[in-house]
Amino acid sequence: MALIFIRTAIIFFTLLLIMRLMGKSQIGEMQPFELVITLLIAELACIPMADSSVPLLYGIISIVAIFILHQIVWLLDLWFKPMKTVVCGKPSLVITKDGVDSYQLRKNNLDVADLIESMRGAGYFNLDDVYYGLYESNGKFSALAKEEPTPTLPVLLVDNGKADEKNAKIAGVTVQSVKDFAEKQGVKLKNVLVMTVDGNGRVYFQPKGKPYKILNMQVSGQW
Amino acid sequence: MVKSIIYTLIAIALCLGIFFGTDYYIKSQLTEFHTALETLYDKIEDENATREDAYAVREMWAEKKSRLHIIIPHNDISYVDYWLSEACGLIYEKQYPLALGKIEVLLEITKNLPDAYSVKLENIF
Repeated sequence: MALIFIRTAIIFFTLLLIMRLMGKSQIGEMQPFELVITLLIAELACIPMADSSVPLLYGIISIVAIFILHQIVWLLDLWFKPMKTVVCGKPSLVITKDGVDSYQLRKNNLDVADLIESMRGAGYFNLDDVYYGLYESNGKFSALAKEEPTPTLPVLLVDNGKADEKNAKIAGVTVQSVKDFAEKQGVKLKNVLVMTVDGNGRVYFQPKGKPYKILNMQVSGQW
Repeated sequence: MVKSIIYTLIAIALCLGIFFGTDYYIKSQLTEFHTALETLYDKIEDENATREDAYAVREMWAEKKSRLHIIIPHNDISYVDYWLSEACGLIYEKQYPLALGKIEVLLEITKNLPDAYSVKLENIF
């Protein structure tokens, strides 16, 4: 039985480590260790229940092991603050006053498209609708919103140096014109971190490692 | 919070109790059965093992396995069942040399089974 406990603990900590390494993109409103518990409990309960050759006690011991590990992690969180960062991670500031922080996005295995999706989920449709945006340790997006959001829906034209042909078509522009627009700003397309455009031709343009700018371009798409 | 800590400590104590209890129980039950098998082995070697001897060992195992089922995977128990049935059949037919081989397997299984559940590196990984 001690064997079952040790094996459960090893799987628990391995899963926890993997979840932490995967970053916030894989979590979704749960702390990493809560997600690990959810993943494990279902399986642990299921195997002895469905397979009559495995004693039920094995499942019970594994579930009790998960309970003990949960309590230990929870107590460590409470009593030893650095442990909270190790186990649960810490919030990542992905939008600052300079724009999108690509380093923080990469660190959490996210890209600009994921960020825009999270923002839409939180009710913000433009990257410059918020002063600051961050991913909480449970993967939830929080933001300090600006007083006057832009009432338009932008499309993503460039994501990390790559032009999106489909979105360019929606905006009624070509990939070449996007390239030319970037070059007019003195930046090669591959060095553009993010570029979005809305129906009024309002462009959010941010080169890699530089602050964002709000510009204008001619668009003919309707959305 | 105090309540939570108490529950955790109770769960840990319960687990430790189960760990040591089951470890001791598996070892003692299988050692007892192993000793009975050794006696049967000696009798087979002397060619004076009777149907009653085989029946007694079988009865002993039936009694032990009903409780061992709670803590050992049932597949491991069915290995013992299988080899014991073969050995008993051969003893009934007085085919002692063949029965010896089967008992040999049983002795090996009952000797190694407790190790399969002990905390060892090869069992963990």
